[in-house]
Amino acid sequence: MSAPLPPALRRYAGHPFWQAVAILVLAYVLVVWVVPLLPGSAIVPKSVVLQYMVTVLVGVLIYVSDSEARWTRFKEPINAMLVEPRLRVVRSGVLTAVTAVVGLVAYGQVKTTVAAPPNLRSIHPAPPTEITFRGKSITLTGLENPLRQHADSLPTYLAEGKQVYYRNCLPCHGDHLDGLGHYASGFNPLPANFQDNGTIAQLTESFVFWRVAKGGPGLPREGTPWNSAMPKWEDFLTEREIWSVILFLYDQTGWKPRTWEKAESGGAK
Amino acid sequence: MTGGRAAGRTGGRMLALAVLLSVSPTVLLSAQDTTAGKKVYVKWCAGCHGESGAGDGPAADAMLPRPRNFTGAVYKIRTTASGQLPTDADLMRAIDEGLPASAMPAWKGRLSDAERRDVAAYVKTFSAFFSDTSQHIVPLKFASAPGGGSGAAALKTGRLFYDSIGCRKCHGDQGRGDGPSANTLKDDAGFPIFAADLHQSWRFRGGASVEDIYRRLRTGLDGTPMPSFSDLIDQKFLTDEELWRLAQYVRSLSPAQPPDVRDVVHAPQIAGAVPASPNDSTWARVDRYWFPLVGQVIRKPRWFAPAVAGVWVQAVHDGKTVALRVSWDDRTQSPDTSWLAFEQRVLETMANDDSIAPKAAPWPDQLAVQFPRHLSEGMERPYFLMGSATDPVYQWRWTSQPARVVAGLGRGLEQFDTLPAAPAGQAAYDHGEWRVVFTRALATPDTGNEVQLAPGRAIPMAFFAWDGSSGEHGSRMAVSTWYFLALDRPTSPTVFVSPVIAMVVTLGLGMLVIARAQRRAAGV
Repeated sequence: MSAPLPPALRRYAGHPFWQAVAILVLAYVLVVWVVPLLPGSAIVPKSVVLQYMVTVLVGVLIYVSDSEARWTRFKEPINAMLVEPRLRVVRSGVLTAVTAVVGLVAYGQVKTTVAAPPNLRSIHPAPPTEITFRGKSITLTGLENPLRQHADSLPTYLAEGKQVYYRNCLPCHGDHLDGLGHYASGFNPLPANFQDNGTIAQLTESFVFWRVAKGGPGLPREGTPWNSAMPKWEDFLTEREIWSVILFLYDQTGWKPRTWEKAESGGAK
Repeated sequence: MTGGRAAGRTGGRMLALAVLLSVSPTVLLSAQDTTAGKKVYVKWCAGCHGESGAGDGPAADAMLPRPRNFTGAVYKIRTTASGQLPTDADLMRAIDEGLPASAMPAWKGRLSDAERRDVAAYVKTFSAFFSDTSQHIVPLKFASAPGGGSGAAALKTGRLFYDSIGCRKCHGDQGRGDGPSANTLKDDAGFPIFAADLHQSWRFRGGASVEDIYRRLRTGLDGTPMPSFSDLIDQKFLTDEELWRLAQYVRSLSPAQPPDVRDVVHAPQIAGAVPASPNDSTWARVDRYWFPLVGQVIRKPRWFAPAVAGVWVQAVHDGKTVALRVSWDDRTQSPDTSWLAFEQRVLETMANDDSIAPKAAPWPDQLAVQFPRHLSEGMERPYFLMGSATDPVYQWRWTSQPARVVAGLGRGLEQFDTLPAAPAGQAAYDHGEWRVVFTRALATPDTGNEVQLAPGRAIPMAFFAWDGSSGEHGSRMAVSTWYFLALDRPTSPTVFVSPVIAMVVTLGLGMLVIARAQRRAAGV
């Protein structure tokens, strides 16, 4: 506050009403334009913006009504707008604007428009305890990636997994494994983002094996199998190829698979 | 205190340096650590571009265009003159921003600044051409665009040169990549290459602005049949301004903005009969919706070179009948035997799941519009990829030859059972664009198999397209996911009742508040 403000501006800056207006405007700008710019952030939904703004408004009102003198000063401009003969134009303007906004909001509420139904799905539905892979029964519960038992051969498996990934998974899951491959835009839901901490980072390798082997058609109903473009990879890949590509997914992203001990103590199921 | 000030000053200097770096990234690449660059390359780039940089990684044969082969140091998207190496900034731009409509993603935000610079430096080591430091690699300099670029006169001039310098030979009369020479094109490596569809500027590898297009005209796309036209300016065949006009004309063929993908096609209700002809003037007044299509890579045999990038969809209804127009760019009116050799090269270039590579054949063009058989109250729908044996989908299928529309039930990719009743269909092919109109009664007698189209509902809808001359047939096709069709009801006047009541009440209350405040003020 070292730089002196022009007197007119200082009068506004020191007035509780205009302070309140400035805080509301600032809060709106922050929530709507600045928050989406933060790394890992997204556009704030309208309902959440409304919640934030109501919270800020309540805070501002508590502040201005805290002392009697401030509350009186706060009301001055509002009262002036309502009664002063010289502010007649402002008064009519505010009244018209409020009426118009109410009309528009009401119209927006009653006008019928058909929107796409919400796509509610369980992203990681509960896996079966056992699956049949090309006629062979595989128990998923407690299953670890069998390739990890051969530490000497891991580089070979990783190289194989990389080949499998680039030949099969790349068009959708992408070069960076972030679900933004060159075909991703054609599908809804978007392909899984393995870089995100909400996918393979939270899953056991047996879960990933199930999702890869059975694909979209193998999802339970709550996983909306009709929308998923994930192929049923048991038609393309061998058991070993799937375990290899799973090794590759964890190696390339740096995530560690969830282990069964943790899964149990964490109370996942 | 002094320490703080000194730190502040250093900070200022750092800032100045950062600004300097960001405006002149060109000077620094040779100093980058190619050992670090190699690590980044092997981890993130080799899968497509190959360990040796030859553009032959494991993913390469499922891509068209193929990944860049760095060993030849031939680059399409440059700011330098034809035949010259790209600048470091050119390489950085491709890495940072990616190349639209190709498999090359934007690595900015995925790899750090240092990693991207290191990898660019490493990529240069694949070719000895870059090690010759005596060369002075500089961008072509040119004046900025002349004004009035969107005016009719400018576009007319542009069109004049579009014809006279031979653009239409490959890009076609209307610019959809359907020119008479288009079926002969290959790149320097012998891979088939498509003349760009100038109606889809958002897919241009080198960018969609007029300046980007002008730069491509000046520099050419090295390694492809697209030449540089700089020599025509030197020979005074055309002026610089006229080349700008050409760039402006090319830009005018595409929408100003890349199309948004919206979920729901709104079909307004119109008075009078719905337009059954693809060229009816009604269609010019109806909103159109873009849906991107991608290769079918879910069931065998997969298809990695989808020819149809997307479809434009429009719909209207009159309360009894719906008309749906689907328009899409397709270089050929298939079957077209003059494209058989090109088709064969595409089939040989692409990865293939079949044990025997498919042989080129004169396939027709096809389009399928898919609905569920019934509109369910819940969110459940049949499998988007042509349904399943237990839960089939209802489809309209158009083929160019025999020219007809049928309706049927898709029970997975393998089985399509034709139904006795079909929607009416009319198709027109016009300079690289198909326009097909389907018309059908909203309600039909066969309520068990045919979707009953009700206004005011979100009706699931999906699209599939085949370009026969690219070898597309069966599961080799371009697919979409589920979207929706909504038959809008006309706005009823009762909709306005409650907003008007709300406004009157607000206005009344507002006046009351003002009157009371004024009375109180007068009283005091």
